[in-house]
Amino acid sequence: MERIYVHPLPVRIWHWINALSFILMILTGIQIRYIGVVNIMPFKAAVDWHNWIGFVLIANFFIWFLFYLFSDKIKVYHPELSPMKHFRDSFRQMKYYGYGIFKGDPNPHHVSVYHKFNPMQSMTYQIIMLLIVPIQFFTGILLWDVERFQASVNFFGGVRVVDTVHVLAFIFFVAFIFIHPYLASLGHTPTAHFKAMFTGYEEIEDEARH
Amino acid sequence: MTCAEGKWSGFAANMNVPFVLAFLFLMMGSMPALAAFGVLSKDDKACLECHAKKGFSKPRGGGDSVSLYVADKPFSESVHNDNGCTDCHTELDIKKHAKADNKKLGTREYSIAAVAVCRDCHKKNVKQYDDSLHAALVREGNDEAPICSDCHDPHTTRVNSATGPMDDVVCQNCHGKIFKAYASSVHGQARQKQAGKLPADQQKAPICADCHRSHEIKAAATGGRIKNACLDCHKGTLILHKVWLPNAERHFDAVSCPACHVATAKRRVDLRLYDSIANKEVTEKKGVPQFESRTRAADATGRGLDALALRSLLNEFNRDGAEGQTVLRGRLEVSSGVEAHQLVARSRAIKDCDTCHREGADVFQTVTISIARPDGRPIHHGAQKEVLTSPISVDSVRGFYAIGGTRIKLLDYLFVMALFAGIAIPAGHMTLKWLFRRYLKQLETERSSPQDDTAQH
Repeated sequence: MERIYVHPLPVRIWHWINALSFILMILTGIQIRYIGVVNIMPFKAAVDWHNWIGFVLIANFFIWFLFYLFSDKIKVYHPELSPMKHFRDSFRQMKYYGYGIFKGDPNPHHVSVYHKFNPMQSMTYQIIMLLIVPIQFFTGILLWDVERFQASVNFFGGVRVVDTVHVLAFIFFVAFIFIHPYLASLGHTPTAHFKAMFTGYEEIEDEARH
Repeated sequence: MTCAEGKWSGFAANMNVPFVLAFLFLMMGSMPALAAFGVLSKDDKACLECHAKKGFSKPRGGGDSVSLYVADKPFSESVHNDNGCTDCHTELDIKKHAKADNKKLGTREYSIAAVAVCRDCHKKNVKQYDDSLHAALVREGNDEAPICSDCHDPHTTRVNSATGPMDDVVCQNCHGKIFKAYASSVHGQARQKQAGKLPADQQKAPICADCHRSHEIKAAATGGRIKNACLDCHKGTLILHKVWLPNAERHFDAVSCPACHVATAKRRVDLRLYDSIANKEVTEKKGVPQFESRTRAADATGRGLDALALRSLLNEFNRDGAEGQTVLRGRLEVSSGVEAHQLVARSRAIKDCDTCHREGADVFQTVTISIARPDGRPIHHGAQKEVLTSPISVDSVRGFYAIGGTRIKLLDYLFVMALFAGIAIPAGHMTLKWLFRRYLKQLETERSSPQDDTAQH
């Protein structure tokens, strides 16, 4: 079994800070939105934690962004320019998770240094990292100090609209935070991808390399 | 000798003494004879010979009469003693007096006409009064709206009498309930304590005129004047709030001070029509009232505007101007003027965020929509509380949102679905994998068998 280095250190640092922060953001977000139903901590403490962790997340985002911007590893995010090929590959990947995995079919995606995401991940992560996460940060900053950013808040339709967008993204992340680690457990062993995100090395089954 | 002394002696030496004496003589001759405090002039004594008789009045017909009584001692001690009777009662012709043709004027009509006399000396104050809500109500024909003499009895008024002891505050004559609420508030109690110890102009605890002004009184429930009045005295209060209150400036904008500083008040959300281009509250056009007819038309059931009706009402108002010009600005406020004056000490103010930021909070159970009348007073119409939580209102109530308290229900359902999907999809997939485990083993065995056979040969 060969080991290849697919997760450079900055990406691993970013990933685990991101993971922990997102969990805390979701928990504090639930506390803020559902006070009275959920009573983990006082509202004010939840707001303060939510704000501080939010800024940590934004700073952390730039670790990811700058690393990929100034590294050839950005190729892992290069989109597949042929839509037909992209959808064909995505469908094949979906078929694997929905059917092939139950009868022991090999994963159609083979990890390499510049090709670490399967077609579904590639599309999902691009949408998440370049659209949903920035929207979440932006709306979060507007809500952090509504009065300071009054002009922008009004431009985007008012505080209710901005908050609704923020909550819709939050709802998406709530589902994501469960599904993402589960999918990560579907490697050749349940812990293989988790270990890789700590060590940087993915283990490649010999058969998969052919 | 100092420089100043030198200048003065030079000036005195150069003065034309006979000229100065002549000037002073002329000045004294041109000035009215100033009456001393408590001493009536000869002319005024003549007037008061009749008018100081208790019950002196003039019949108006129909059994009605107008009081013409003026108490001599209070008048002699008033600031207007210096003016004398005829300075204000200029219309009187001594020869025709007592047969004057103004006998049909009642006290009210006469006093309204006399505002013009007050204006002669008190130009600035009367100009401010002319722009006030009180004057607007008088012009509308409101018989109870005050004119100059209702607050400042011209025959007894003294310097700063309007800001004298609490019991003398004239505002309570009309606003009795509100004054009573004020008197028992933290401000009223502080004022009462200071009243016996300090002169009126040194008492720092606010009284009516300190917040509402004495002459340019405007509607308290519209505009930002009252909030500014609070902040004028409580300087640095925003910084103090910022220490513990997230989005403090936003709270200052959307929550009235009494909403938190009157802990027991009944609160409501008022959605005020606001001109987003002119950046001011929408005011009913004078003589063309639209708000009541439009709200009545939109509120067909009479149970208050629902989210759809609110949206259509807003569209109606936007027909008059640019698209999206008229918006709703929400504000959390107390339900009545009496409650607005029951301010408590800072330590007793509401500081618990979950008073408002939880589902079903009392403050969001009453919702009104309002517009400012031409004189500034608001007109309210009820709206259903669901307008604050309906997805249909995302646009129409865009400017008011309290996290947790007015959250959109539909998003709650989506959240539950996402949570369910997040748990159910992995759980379902794992279950299928578990159910297929034997089949998978069997397949793996079958796949590996031919290779074994090949290896054996």
